[in-house]
Amino acid sequence: MRGLTVLFLLLPGAANAHAGERMVILTLPTGWYLLGAGIAVAATAIVALMARRLPAFAAHRLFDRPVLVTRHATSWLGAALLAGLVTVGIRGTRDPLENLLPLTVWTVIWVGLTLASVLFGHLWRDIEPWTGPVRAIRRLTGWQGSVGLSRLGHLPATLGYLAFAWFEIVSLAPADPFVLARAVAVYYFLILALAVAEGEDWLPQGEFLTAYFGFVATIAPFWAEECDGRLRVMAGLPGAQVMALPPLTPSAIAFVTLVLSSVSFDGLSETFWWLARLGINPLEFPGRSAVYGVNSAAFVLFWAFSAALILGAIRAGLPQGRFATAVGPLMLSFLPIAAGYHVAHYLVALLTNGQYAIAALNDPFGRGAAYLGLPEHWVSFGFLAERRGVQAVWTVQFAVILMAHLLAVLVSFKLSDRIDGAQSFRAHLPMTLLMVAYTVFGLWLLSAPTGA
Amino acid sequence: MTNKLITTSPTRRSVLTGMAATGALLATGTTPRFVQAQSSEPIKLGFQLHRTGIGASYGRWYERTATAALKLLNEAGGINGRPVEILFEDDGTDPKRGAEVVEKLATQANCDLIFGTLFSHVVMGSALRAGELQVPYLVCSEGHHVASGALNRWTLQPGITDVKSQVQSMAPWITSNLGKKVTMVFPDYAFGHDHRDFFTAAVAAQGGEVIKQVAIPPTETSFTRYFPQIPSDTEVLYHVMVGPAVLTFVKELGEFYGSGARPEIFGFIDSLEAVNIASTGLEFLEGTHFWEGHPRYKQADAAEHETFYRAAVGVDDNGASVSDPADISTYGHMFSTWETLFVVKAAMEAAGYQGTADRQKVVEAMEAMEAMEEGVEHPQGPKVFNGKTHQVFGLQSISKVEGGRLVRVHQTAMEDGFYPDEVDYTTQSF
Repeated sequence: MRGLTVLFLLLPGAANAHAGERMVILTLPTGWYLLGAGIAVAATAIVALMARRLPAFAAHRLFDRPVLVTRHATSWLGAALLAGLVTVGIRGTRDPLENLLPLTVWTVIWVGLTLASVLFGHLWRDIEPWTGPVRAIRRLTGWQGSVGLSRLGHLPATLGYLAFAWFEIVSLAPADPFVLARAVAVYYFLILALAVAEGEDWLPQGEFLTAYFGFVATIAPFWAEECDGRLRVMAGLPGAQVMALPPLTPSAIAFVTLVLSSVSFDGLSETFWWLARLGINPLEFPGRSAVYGVNSAAFVLFWAFSAALILGAIRAGLPQGRFATAVGPLMLSFLPIAAGYHVAHYLVALLTNGQYAIAALNDPFGRGAAYLGLPEHWVSFGFLAERRGVQAVWTVQFAVILMAHLLAVLVSFKLSDRIDGAQSFRAHLPMTLLMVAYTVFGLWLLSAPTGA
Repeated sequence: MTNKLITTSPTRRSVLTGMAATGALLATGTTPRFVQAQSSEPIKLGFQLHRTGIGASYGRWYERTATAALKLLNEAGGINGRPVEILFEDDGTDPKRGAEVVEKLATQANCDLIFGTLFSHVVMGSALRAGELQVPYLVCSEGHHVASGALNRWTLQPGITDVKSQVQSMAPWITSNLGKKVTMVFPDYAFGHDHRDFFTAAVAAQGGEVIKQVAIPPTETSFTRYFPQIPSDTEVLYHVMVGPAVLTFVKELGEFYGSGARPEIFGFIDSLEAVNIASTGLEFLEGTHFWEGHPRYKQADAAEHETFYRAAVGVDDNGASVSDPADISTYGHMFSTWETLFVVKAAMEAAGYQGTADRQKVVEAMEAMEAMEEGVEHPQGPKVFNGKTHQVFGLQSISKVEGGRLVRVHQTAMEDGFYPDEVDYTTQSF
């Protein structure tokens, strides 16, 4: 599993739409895909309701193996890598598509590692750069206590994610190597200080990346569990891990709705529709500085709106007085959507900026080297200008969004088995309608004309 | 490279004088670093690059072209015998960041001048700052903003013609070869309005008439309901749609006319820059005409320097990247970075440029420029620079789509693009 982490760190990954792709996609019959996906989600819910037979979502043990390198050690490795990358961000090339810091953060980690985690489990846990240093500092200082941060649940991670998503979606220069280096360094030391005060076990709920990767990794069909000093490699239907999770706490619900809404808002804020609402001509987008204020406010409002919609749908279906106990488990069914949206939304970024990441490894010091043997002008986006390439990308995005929602429907049905009065047609109707709408909306975001 | 950096052989006398001067400077305690700077310290040019944001697809090719030109420039001796560096800085295609980039390149990085900006709103947001910082700012945008007088003494456009000149120079050929009754279809904002105003006037001057102007809201992504507005006696349909719905526009236009009679059709390549003309859905364009700033497909009579330029940038005979035939370059615009770099060389050498204290001399040297000959330094064609309006003029091409390729059928005369000066920047103070 650790080996896979390293492997995926070498894989591509991160961030911005290409005009050519949308030009071609507008000529594809995407409307039929939207209709078909909506019907498929609705039909799945109806069949699940009528047949009352759902997948078992069982987990199977594949094999055990000894832990080869401790998490403590790999965390130090992660910290060293981070220090190196921040140095590259400050001293390296100013080009955001050649500098390894923005490429690693926005492409390799944010996109590539998410994809890897959705397939192979919580890989971030093995490389996150805090556990090792936090343990060492706590041992050195003799401080083993806590300061009560854990009582805040996922609230710190939610605030961290909010700041991060705003930085990515709204702020002026998130890919600028120096700006990013400063942000990464400030965030790293802030979390380091808090985790030293609270203890490294606080990270999964207090640090947003650890919380985020922890949640999206619950969809993975393969994962690893540590028990008695050995690593147990598991396999199961996507969602099998979700079934074993405790209900989401209110702060975790805030976190998951934020993850969902931020990816949607990132897509929405670039559409003609949104720009027209702002009175901006999408054919001459004036730049982020012109929408900075309005998108900052809209982003938070959109989160509130999405959360209200989701919680409202759950509440509408449940009998009186059941909401408080049922919302925690039922919210787990949105985890597949959060993961699926992320993968589909960033797929084009993965395929384009991922090339830049590979090219940067080919010539990390910008001296004309070719350590990977890549020729000059290797980075190329021709596939996004051709019908065949765009059709392939769209098909994958369509499949990912559809599967995420089908899985969400099945998981929500399975979870509702545990809740009194949540199995009826009436109970499932609002959630199913929301899932259908969410599917269509997600696909629309990926096929709508964009101008920003 | 080092040998080639010395362009002129110094005479024995100048060497001796130089040595004496060096000795004197050393003796008086002045650091030798300055002497060194005069002879071989690199000239630093800042490049305001649309690396991210909506201009990124252009930015990629602008960087590639400028890098290729820089390589050639340095191999041929640099500027005044000094090597040249380009500092690329991403502006996010945002005017606010653009102004910050100008400031950073001019003050922190101490660049000798700044060039490369394409998108008009970034130009408008940055040029003022360049003027305040008194750093030459050379745009590669084809906008009319420079020649209109809206900018300042420090802002020039010496590497690409402006849209007013381009549009106007199309009119004589269109009216005498395609027809005199023109219907224009354009997006309803500044870009489309420029075409509407410049072309309507130019057609009238040729004895033709724009009989209908169909303005399409910028947020529109389906066009079928606008086509019935095209009068049936239209002889030429002039279109300049841009944005993600361009393929849809062409497809729907094709469906509207079907296989029946259609007017002659004339468009601007800006609509389909970086898009393969042979794309599915663009079949309807066969037999139609386009303005091209620089013919994307290598023409049968292409000169040697055209072949050289393509090879240097890494572009094949179809205007695509040599590494990917589907990756079409922004061929109609990117030559501007190449040509601007060689204009910088000529101006700095004419000004005897030494360092940032001579920035004003560079602007004055450019203002004194007139004819630029076609060749390796100006692969798009010959140019004439107007020092008063800070705008260069050149030849335009009209190409016809034949077998999914653009074949040049006409090249304009230099005079076709001239219009009365709207400003005299040389009367403004620095």
